[in-house]
Amino acid sequence: MIDSLDETTGRAYAVDGVIPRFAARPKDAEGVRDALRFADERGLAVIPWGGGSRIGLGNPPHRFDLALDMTGANRILDHTPGDLTATVEAGIAVDALQESLAVHGQFLPIDPPLPGRATLGGALAVGTSGPLKWQYGSIRDTVIGMKVVQADGTITKSGGQVVKNVSGYDMSRLHVGALGTLGVITEVSLKLAPRPAGEATVLARFDRPGPCFAAALGMFRSPLMPLAVTAFDARAGRRTGIVDPPGAWRLAVRLGGRPRALDRQVSESRAIIEGAATAGVEVLDAGGAETAWRALSDFGWDEPRPILGIRANATPSGMPQLVEGIKNMNGAGGLSLAIAAHPAHGTALFSWTGEDQASDDVAGIIDRARGLAARAGGCLVVEQAALAAKSGIDVWGGIAGPESVARGLKREYDPKGILNPGRFAGRV
Amino acid sequence: MTAVIADLREVVAELQAIVGAAYVIHRPEDLIVFEYDGSVDKAMPQMVALPASTEEASRVVEVVGRHGLPIVARGAGTGLSGGAVAEEGGVVLALTRMKRIIEIDPEDQVAVVEPGVVNVDVSAAAAEYGLYYAPDPSSQSACTIGGNVAENSGGPHCLAYGVTTNHVLGMEVVLADGSVHWLGGRTRETPGYDLRGIVIGSEGSLAIVTKVVLRLLRQPESVRTLLAVYREIDDASAAVSGIIAAGIVPAAIEMMDRLCIQAVEPAVNAGYPMGAGAVLLVEVDGLREAVEEESAEVERICRSRGPMEIRTAADAGERARLWAGRKGVLGALGRLAPNYYLVDGTIPRTKLPEALARIGDISDEYRLPIANLLHAGDGNLHPSVLFDERDPDELDRAMAAGGEILKLCVDSGGVLSGEHGIGLEKREYMPLMFDDDDLNAMARLGPAFGSEGMLNPGKIFPTGADRTHVSHSRAAAKAGAGAYI
Repeated sequence: MIDSLDETTGRAYAVDGVIPRFAARPKDAEGVRDALRFADERGLAVIPWGGGSRIGLGNPPHRFDLALDMTGANRILDHTPGDLTATVEAGIAVDALQESLAVHGQFLPIDPPLPGRATLGGALAVGTSGPLKWQYGSIRDTVIGMKVVQADGTITKSGGQVVKNVSGYDMSRLHVGALGTLGVITEVSLKLAPRPAGEATVLARFDRPGPCFAAALGMFRSPLMPLAVTAFDARAGRRTGIVDPPGAWRLAVRLGGRPRALDRQVSESRAIIEGAATAGVEVLDAGGAETAWRALSDFGWDEPRPILGIRANATPSGMPQLVEGIKNMNGAGGLSLAIAAHPAHGTALFSWTGEDQASDDVAGIIDRARGLAARAGGCLVVEQAALAAKSGIDVWGGIAGPESVARGLKREYDPKGILNPGRFAGRV
Repeated sequence: MTAVIADLREVVAELQAIVGAAYVIHRPEDLIVFEYDGSVDKAMPQMVALPASTEEASRVVEVVGRHGLPIVARGAGTGLSGGAVAEEGGVVLALTRMKRIIEIDPEDQVAVVEPGVVNVDVSAAAAEYGLYYAPDPSSQSACTIGGNVAENSGGPHCLAYGVTTNHVLGMEVVLADGSVHWLGGRTRETPGYDLRGIVIGSEGSLAIVTKVVLRLLRQPESVRTLLAVYREIDDASAAVSGIIAAGIVPAAIEMMDRLCIQAVEPAVNAGYPMGAGAVLLVEVDGLREAVEEESAEVERICRSRGPMEIRTAADAGERARLWAGRKGVLGALGRLAPNYYLVDGTIPRTKLPEALARIGDISDEYRLPIANLLHAGDGNLHPSVLFDERDPDELDRAMAAGGEILKLCVDSGGVLSGEHGIGLEKREYMPLMFDDDDLNAMARLGPAFGSEGMLNPGKIFPTGADRTHVSHSRAAAKAGAGAYI
């Protein structure tokens, strides 16, 4: 079922201002196949849509004709609690999936932004998640099997429904973080985790970033096993409902476990924090913790009028310097900057807001920040920026690794270039 | 034919100029040790080159590629699916001279190593910082990190900590054209296609790995190992389900059946009761308090299934003794039969009781004993079909029984291989799991990497040969001391 769109109805699916002519909202893998065959036969450029929570990520599309709305294929096909695995359609919203799993005391250990809207498939295509990656690792590591519809409509599967499997190539790795440029993720088998028996969040305040990062890295190098550790500045704090003076920093430490192990982790976390010149430390109640972690996951993507949002990566020990460097850059005048960092994972998010900026000024900020990330041995992705600012750059910073292989993959899996053309690294 | 021979001499000379005359092996009598790996397949390469550096490896690949010969990368040769066997001849690229631990960085908790480093040596080098490398394939005192990357190796403790791909941040690789690249790096996130994740587990068919950045974990503060002995294997299976259902993911849950116990106890004296139907070994590690709380819960669950006996290791020595039984099983199977065919497959863990019952049926149907050793926590079965290869009919039946077990795994919603890889051993079984479209999608990775037909050709993909015929050509492993899967 392909719908024709006009200027008005098409606007709901616009990407970087490009409005598609067609939309399809398939109910299952066969529907996705039919929509892609329709596009393939006509050479139409396709952008798969999940909840749209991060649809702005990527270079502006070269072409966009057909919006493939995946939210109609959203069933939980199997959840066997005793196996700690589930198989679901990719259009399911992350929150909806988590609610269903929670009934059995389990969860999918990812916390991407805006999980009420974000679909599992979208989160996987983007490939980055939230603070929980400290303990549970990358979102890629939760995938044990995948059904993908290829650009020409061929339905293919890989992996399986078991947690230990080396039968053939690990094809799911091709698609996680590939922004839907090599195929459309349609079904996913997942490795779940039991929900921690109990949880506590320790929240500490610091007068400056140095001791905050020292405490975070102290946690990383301790025997404790926090679920998440996130450092954030006062502007980011305001989004979590915390009002601090400018210049203050916070460290949130999420802990889980059975009662005695949890108590000890709370007290030792406090000791590490107090050893790093904290200006005060508290333990949040469950409601406060939930709000804070939601806001920290959503960071950047909940901003109604972002001027610029970037994600920078470095080693854990390179993090404090990278954050200081970007924070103190010149040329971001008139804008206000909020920062949230997951130091042990080596990720920091920066969100600039304020008055609209000349695109050259924004490009200048990106350029300097990218230089700092490179010097720290890391890299940087522009997650949000106005179209004008994005147009002159590659938001991914180009192709990391062998360009021949990146282009070779695109040639093999999408020879006509109809899936998300131009939007991924190197504009493939 | 003469042209080919002349070519080979030329290749030898060119390779000698790169790695030195001593490090090109080409005389048939010297090549014999490179004819096989830990599996049962054999094939003679035309020569072996042993580079000492990335630069040498890159030049070797470039030269061999120019002459149109296949390249088979090789580590310690402990692989169990024939991944390092040069079936189509060509040049074996042995990476065992590249065995430097370049760096242990305790600040960022990473190690940078060359591919020839032995798995257990990484943990040994990291120990002074209280760190270790988690994946622990059973051959870890011999197998190399490069081989682990090629096979995406697991191990008993991957239940809680994950397999190789979860612990590799980045790799330096040589592509089939000889070019050198980094996939990933020292940071945990890199934008772009996850080529690192694709190359891991690709059985040496997409790229040659020349450096690896490994994530290190902090050594657990406390470890507790519990042994539960049951009259019937179903009770042991029920205890496994109970532990997972209680929201506990132990570091390891291992199970051995009656035959395993009967083989190993007289040999190793681990203290397993001879009349038992199954032994369960459960290890919990982490923070002291967490270990105390979780192991108490594990013990309660194990007791609720009416064990003959439960024992907890009080110290490292007792723990080693409990594990000695587990580690000695394969070596001890030789007491029961001259040969065994070790099968590797995974099923959903809730299907354990049915699967074990069905394996019992297969044992009856083929009139051969089957000993079950399993990583029960993640459903990874290792049934060993016992037979005597001197009796051709027994060999036939053993191979057919192995095939039946693989079918059973796939039919139960499981897979063909949990940790040994496909290689030569299981390539003809791939159609049980994947249809032509699935396999075609996998086969396009070779052209994308430019490695098709050049790097480890012939592995993973079915050739269309009759499965039974292929199995017949393959004698099964002889039980030997120290065999431990």
